[in-house]
Amino acid sequence: MTLPAGAGNRIVTATYAGTWAGLIVDPAVTGAVGSDTDATGAAAASDAEVGASAPSPAAYLVQDNTEAARAVLLHATAGDRETLVVAASRIDDERATQLRADGFAVVRGDEVEAATTSRPADPGRIWLLTSGSTGRPKQVAHTLDSLTTVGGSQPSRVWLCPYATGAYAWWQVVTMSLAMPGQDVVFVEPSQLDSWPALALKHGVTAASGTPTFWRQALWRAGDVVAQLPLEQITLGGEPVDQAILDRLREVFPTARISWIYASSEAGAAIVVHDGLAGFPEAWLGRETPGRPALSVVDGELVIASPKAAEGMAEGIRTGDRVDIVDGRVLITGRLASDEINVGGSKASAAKVRAVLLDHPAVAWAAVRGRRAPLVGQVVAGEVVLVPGETTTDADLIAWCAERLPDYSVPRRLRVLTEIPIKETLKSDV
Amino acid sequence: MSTLSRDQVRTMMGEVLTAQGKQLPADDTTRLDSIGFRSLDFSELALRVEDELDTELNFDAPELRSIETVSDVLDFIDQLQSA
Repeated sequence: MTLPAGAGNRIVTATYAGTWAGLIVDPAVTGAVGSDTDATGAAAASDAEVGASAPSPAAYLVQDNTEAARAVLLHATAGDRETLVVAASRIDDERATQLRADGFAVVRGDEVEAATTSRPADPGRIWLLTSGSTGRPKQVAHTLDSLTTVGGSQPSRVWLCPYATGAYAWWQVVTMSLAMPGQDVVFVEPSQLDSWPALALKHGVTAASGTPTFWRQALWRAGDVVAQLPLEQITLGGEPVDQAILDRLREVFPTARISWIYASSEAGAAIVVHDGLAGFPEAWLGRETPGRPALSVVDGELVIASPKAAEGMAEGIRTGDRVDIVDGRVLITGRLASDEINVGGSKASAAKVRAVLLDHPAVAWAAVRGRRAPLVGQVVAGEVVLVPGETTTDADLIAWCAERLPDYSVPRRLRVLTEIPIKETLKSDV
Repeated sequence: MSTLSRDQVRTMMGEVLTAQGKQLPADDTTRLDSIGFRSLDFSELALRVEDELDTELNFDAPELRSIETVSDVLDFIDQLQSA
């Protein structure tokens, strides 16, 4: 059994503070028992012993990041396991039953429900659950290697990981910390999403990755505390990134490197941009570089061929993301399936309306969707959150849109919310 | 479900027009095309009524009919509320 290179990195969860290796209690593996654990060390030992004898393939339906980290470490050290890790809150009974029928033992803490279909483990296989375009979760096949996309020489950092346990972005932070010495991680549980800035300050976080909604909400709700963080690296991904949030982060963190990453469970990490501008250079389209993803646009949709894609994917993965090319930049504006609002036969783009609303100086966050209406089928409806201290009315905002959008694209109903809504995915799929 | 009176709906119709820089005349026989009240405006009015009542109206229920005057609009919204 071999420990991963980052086993000495420190991880912090709501119930554990210690090294990755400290999660293992088998002296043959660590040479020490429960080293550097906090008061929860005894519980950790008990769980680890259960984990060591856990069946494989196993689906870990975890309550928190301590359970998740232990399952990941078990997978990384055993080498021959087949593993799925997901927040228990994402799995209903029907899905759990299906996992067992698919050959997974379902592990919830100390409880193990055996698979109802027996099959040998596929050694090294890691499964991710993705919501899928139909909304029904589907499994995507990876390995630790295909999930490890950060390489080269990286400065030592303390990362914040606020992503939903088992999501692709969560694995990105986890695999980086496992593979590279000097990459510590502070995990944020869903219940801590409101208070993470204080948590990050306490544990000396210097790098953080989150969705644009996550950053907007952080600056909106706790901007003063966030500004105190000594952030050297800020990463955004998971949703369309507009120039306004990039500029705002640059204003608050003038010396930090600000990166935008386009990644998905299916296509892997495909695009990384550090220049502080929304989108990526048009010149990257059609470029063939060995070992790097090839990017193209087909009928307004981003298509990716990537060596880090999940297994079984088509050569060119249709991402379902709509792109616009503006002034030499390729901008990802939203999901094709949900972007188009049919207003009496005219096609309004939710992304474009949202962009116009976000351009308003009083708007901190906006979401746009189609709302069912008589005669025209759908009208454009929106929700906004205002910048603290700013005041405006829905009539003013609608007038702002009317000056910049065709008639059918102007929101007919607009609600001003008091808080930025955020889901466990850190996105605002309202 | 509570309902809005014809007068209340009429006031809301006036608000929709005002937002477009137009005015609602007093005469309910006024043709919609003469005051620039379009399908989108009618849709917005229906959604305003929904929001005011805090309920979803069944847009499929009322028979589709010709809506040409202010009175037609008020009749249609009445139908929506009682469907």
